Amino acid sequence: MSLPALPAPKPGSFGWLLAHDLRLSWRRFHGMFGKLRPRTIALIVASALLSFHALAWPLSRWFTGADAEIGDGRMFYPALAAGVLFVLPWLISQSLTGATRALYSRGDLDLLLASPLPAHHILGARAIAIAVEAIASVSIFILPLANMLALNGGSRWLALYPALAAGGLFAAAIGILIALGLFKLVGPRRTRVVSQVLATIVGASFVLGLQVLNLLPAATRETIVAAIDRSEPGGLFDRNGTLWLPVRAAAGNGPALAIWIIVSLALFIATVFFTGRLFASSVVMSAGESAVTSSRATRNRAIRFRHSRARALRVKEWRLVARDPWLISQILLQVIYTLPISIVVWRSLGTQSAIAVSVAPAIVVIASQIAASLAWLTISSEDAPDFLASAPVTRAEVERRKLEAIALPLALFLALPLIGLAIFSLSAALWTVLFATCAALSTALLNLWHPMPGRRTMVMRRHSQSKIVGMIEHLLSLLWAVAMVLTVLGSVFAALPILLVLTVLWFNRPAAAPLSSPTSA
Amino acid sequence: MSDYGSGRDAAAQPALRLSGLSKSFGKPAVDRLDLTVQAGEFYALLGPNGAGKTTTLRMVAGLLPADSGEIGIFGVDARRQPIEAKRITAWLPDEPMLYDKLDPLEYLEFVAGLWGVPPEVAQERAVELLHVLGLWEQRFERCEGFSRGMKQKVALAGALIHNPKLLMLDEPLTGLDAAVARQVKDLLVERVRAGAAIVLTTHILEVAERLADRIGIIHHGRLIAEGTLGELRSIAGERHSTLEDVFLELTRPDAVATEAA
Repeated sequence: MSLPALPAPKPGSFGWLLAHDLRLSWRRFHGMFGKLRPRTIALIVASALLSFHALAWPLSRWFTGADAEIGDGRMFYPALAAGVLFVLPWLISQSLTGATRALYSRGDLDLLLASPLPAHHILGARAIAIAVEAIASVSIFILPLANMLALNGGSRWLALYPALAAGGLFAAAIGILIALGLFKLVGPRRTRVVSQVLATIVGASFVLGLQVLNLLPAATRETIVAAIDRSEPGGLFDRNGTLWLPVRAAAGNGPALAIWIIVSLALFIATVFFTGRLFASSVVMSAGESAVTSSRATRNRAIRFRHSRARALRVKEWRLVARDPWLISQILLQVIYTLPISIVVWRSLGTQSAIAVSVAPAIVVIASQIAASLAWLTISSEDAPDFLASAPVTRAEVERRKLEAIALPLALFLALPLIGLAIFSLSAALWTVLFATCAALSTALLNLWHPMPGRRTMVMRRHSQSKIVGMIEHLLSLLWAVAMVLTVLGSVFAALPILLVLTVLWFNRPAAAPLSSPTSA
Repeated sequence: MSDYGSGRDAAAQPALRLSGLSKSFGKPAVDRLDLTVQAGEFYALLGPNGAGKTTTLRMVAGLLPADSGEIGIFGVDARRQPIEAKRITAWLPDEPMLYDKLDPLEYLEFVAGLWGVPPEVAQERAVELLHVLGLWEQRFERCEGFSRGMKQKVALAGALIHNPKLLMLDEPLTGLDAAVARQVKDLLVERVRAGAAIVLTTHILEVAERLADRIGIIHHGRLIAEGTLGELRSIAGERHSTLEDVFLELTRPDAVATEAA
């Protein structure tokens, strides 16, 4: 028996456009899994969902139990507020990235905008796809928790479903408005860069906020906590106030949920309807802008060739990395997400001598990860490997220059935390420099020895191409961090992780392989 | 043992000498190919799709290891001394190999650095090449916004900046407009007159007909005919007057089968 086929949307209709955009979204998602078949992907997603449900079960039991004991929502309102503060900026960040990509990618939009379809239909379909992609990025974590909370604490927790969907529409509208606003404000050439940096900051805002909170003096923090607890009517932390609307909606408050859905939907429709033409003209303008990417300063620059071979190779790498702010922002994101953990440890330990076993190992890990990312970028994402292979230069020299080239950006990334560390403890800073250098060299070499060609935009997903290299990379980082702690504590066992690192590197040393892969005629 | 010297007697040596060159990807892509190109010669290598032209050029450029055979470039054994061979060679593939985030000047500076051209010499050549190829106005614009033809011109400038003695060009005129194609052809002829050797593959037979001193036709990885246009006409039969006629006649499946027999 076969299922009746769904009626296909009429070509040119809004539904048809939406189906087209959702198909593209699905293909992007599918692309993340390489060449795996849809059935295998479905199996992986189902396994992940089951795992998250299993993890969410004890959490939801504890949460609903504690909430019932305390009562009055004093338990779950702050927790939900924290969740909303984390999820909503993330959704906006994803939407801003999606909207910017839609503005600048020279894909099918040129074709669609050249067709007789209304611009707001085109933007509407693309905006829904942006919202769906943003929602999908968090739903795998949130929806299992909602299900388990509903099982343990009542069906009102299922309100997280519509609240999240409305949040996705709200974020898509905000993302589009920010992207178009930037386009008007800073111009087409800078919008891409500014929005990429902004998306990173917005996405990490909750983590950044926590970091700021951690750095505040204890008295100030206590004042803030007291203000949250008092939640005076009309104040910032009044649970009945407008700002808390998404929180109340997520908590299953019927009227709040209805208002949240109406507000989000209204904002989304208004954005699509009123900015359709502006969006279309921005796409056209961005196409013209991509042809000219020189600034006034460079137009007036003097022509002076002065590079030796070694310097030419290094300068090329620096230029390529420096001219891709998205990559820099993605690498910085690693730092932003890692630092709060070390700050928390640092504060909890509290003493100067504890720095060496809290912040310093974190810097070692960060150094190794940044070095690995940069090494991957310079080696695997070489734009013209065949060109380099046809040049009169050995593979060893190219690799050596690439390693030298990544030393400078790495030093720039780490300068600030190292200076901060040196203020508190000069010896800890010196040990950190030594171990961070070793760790960076190890992971960079690993990436040089196991090149995994990919696009530069894949930098944050580079491990998907070789899980084993990813695992070894993390192992090396960890071993150097442990070695650092043991060395500072004066333990002779510090030699053990170092020996282990050397063994791992020995077994991963390269066989002679060409820089480029052969292709047939 | 190889009979190629260290390159000291370069003037007396052919610009390119392939001897029994073979490469197989499961089935033979290049099959015992023998080919000689002299200095100051413009040689066009023609063949249907998949005939082995690009594989041959990639082996000469040092991008693809040959299974067997010898490659001599001005007396340098390219398989044993690849760096020495690359120093006097330039390879321009059909898809321009550029760095999108660099502008043409930065790209040329990088290429010159790789080939060890003294900066002051490289700068002078870069300025000249950018003017000749009509890229001067775009010299500070990043290549990411360029059309395919413009990218091809930047890549060609890169191939010429180190003044190579042997130039291998894979479909160099694809995507160029008529005016630019003419400029490029003039530039290449000028290089040949100056003593460089050019090996060019193309599907535009008119280009080979007008520019090449000699033409080689490769099919199934083997050189099936070689000579001037007149010599090829006589091989194919006098009734074939144009290179297109000759090419189609020589690469006919039954003609190739007869040749093989």
